[in-house]
Amino acid sequence: MIPVRCISCGKVVSAYFDEYQNRTAEGEDPKVVLDDLGVNRYCCRRMLISHVETW
Amino acid sequence: MEIDVKKKQENELVFIIRDSDLSFANAIRRICMMEVPKIAIEDVHMIKNESAMFDEVLAHRLGLVPLFSDSESAEALLIPSECDCEDQCPKCSVSLVLRKKGPGVVYTKDLSSEDSKIKPVHDTIPLLKLMEDQEVELEATARLGIGMDHAKWEPTTACAYKHYPHITIDEKCDQCQKCADACPRGVLEFDEKTNQIKVVDLENCSMCKSCVRVCDHKYITIGHKDSDFIFTIETDGSIPPEEVLIKACDVLSNKADKIITFCEGGS
Ligand code: SF4
Ligand code: SF4
Ligand SMILES: [Zn+2]
Ligand SMILES: [Zn+2]
Repeated sequence: MIPVRCISCGKVVSAYFDEYQNRTAEGEDPKVVLDDLGVNRYCCRRMLISHVETW
Repeated sequence: MEIDVKKKQENELVFIIRDSDLSFANAIRRICMMEVPKIAIEDVHMIKNESAMFDEVLAHRLGLVPLFSDSESAEALLIPSECDCEDQCPKCSVSLVLRKKGPGVVYTKDLSSEDSKIKPVHDTIPLLKLMEDQEVELEATARLGIGMDHAKWEPTTACAYKHYPHITIDEKCDQCQKCADACPRGVLEFDEKTNQIKVVDLENCSMCKSCVRVCDHKYITIGHKDSDFIFTIETDGSIPPEEVLIKACDVLSNKADKIITFCEGGS
């Protein structure tokens, strides 16, 4: 499961996780999706980009 | 002291403080992060948890979920240490219930609060996953607290200031434009009309000095104003940023009052 908040700054990144996954699965560029969701700092962006859902 | 609001959004406030000093800006920053009370889940009573997630992990996730509260219901709540009850009572706590049967992902929208005015900011935070026939049932108690005790009670996410940048370009500059090309933030631009390098977006300058490094004769210098700051308060949605700032100022003036009474011989 994705951590509720960004580990570095505390932004609630998990709230955007489903939308991020759905939109990137449809082939949208992750950069565009992240900008659109307002996930601007790179600490928060890596939370979504690098997350692997294992269970 | 002068304050100039630059950007105001639901969860973000950017403003410039002029004619102030570093210690004041830092005091405000630290109080915004650490001493402005907000509501977060503190105790979780697990009635049933058949998921693969440990109780502790789930409780921790619940604690980090930001809870929105209008200022009235938050102010009506007492800080647990100031309440005269032994453990918990409706005056100092709010309870939220989660009851869900699998299969599926459980989201914050499944949390139901006893007080309709105190509820999760986001509906879409995944809390745990349930397989076929698994069930979860719990009661969580939210209380007021401050960031000094636990990060879940920090109302701010990014809360920071930077010095107001000050860029000077020497008259001897030969307009080679190297600095404008090197700037990663589009602060400098070459003006075709006047044939000069111009500062177009001063407040965006991060003072990285990339421009200074590429200038052969150091005609450009980056400095800052000691008394001016660009302040950003971003919150997690539980309290609006203006309110965080106002409450932080209250806390600071209370502290100052305490020092004054102490100095005057009180206690
Ligand atoms: S210090 Fe950095 S951001 Fe500022 S003008 Fe120079 S290159 Fe641009
Ligand atoms: S790099 Fe130096 S000399 Fe060239 S335009 Fe910028 S300030 Fe002038
Ligand atoms: Zn972050
Ligand atoms: Zn009580």
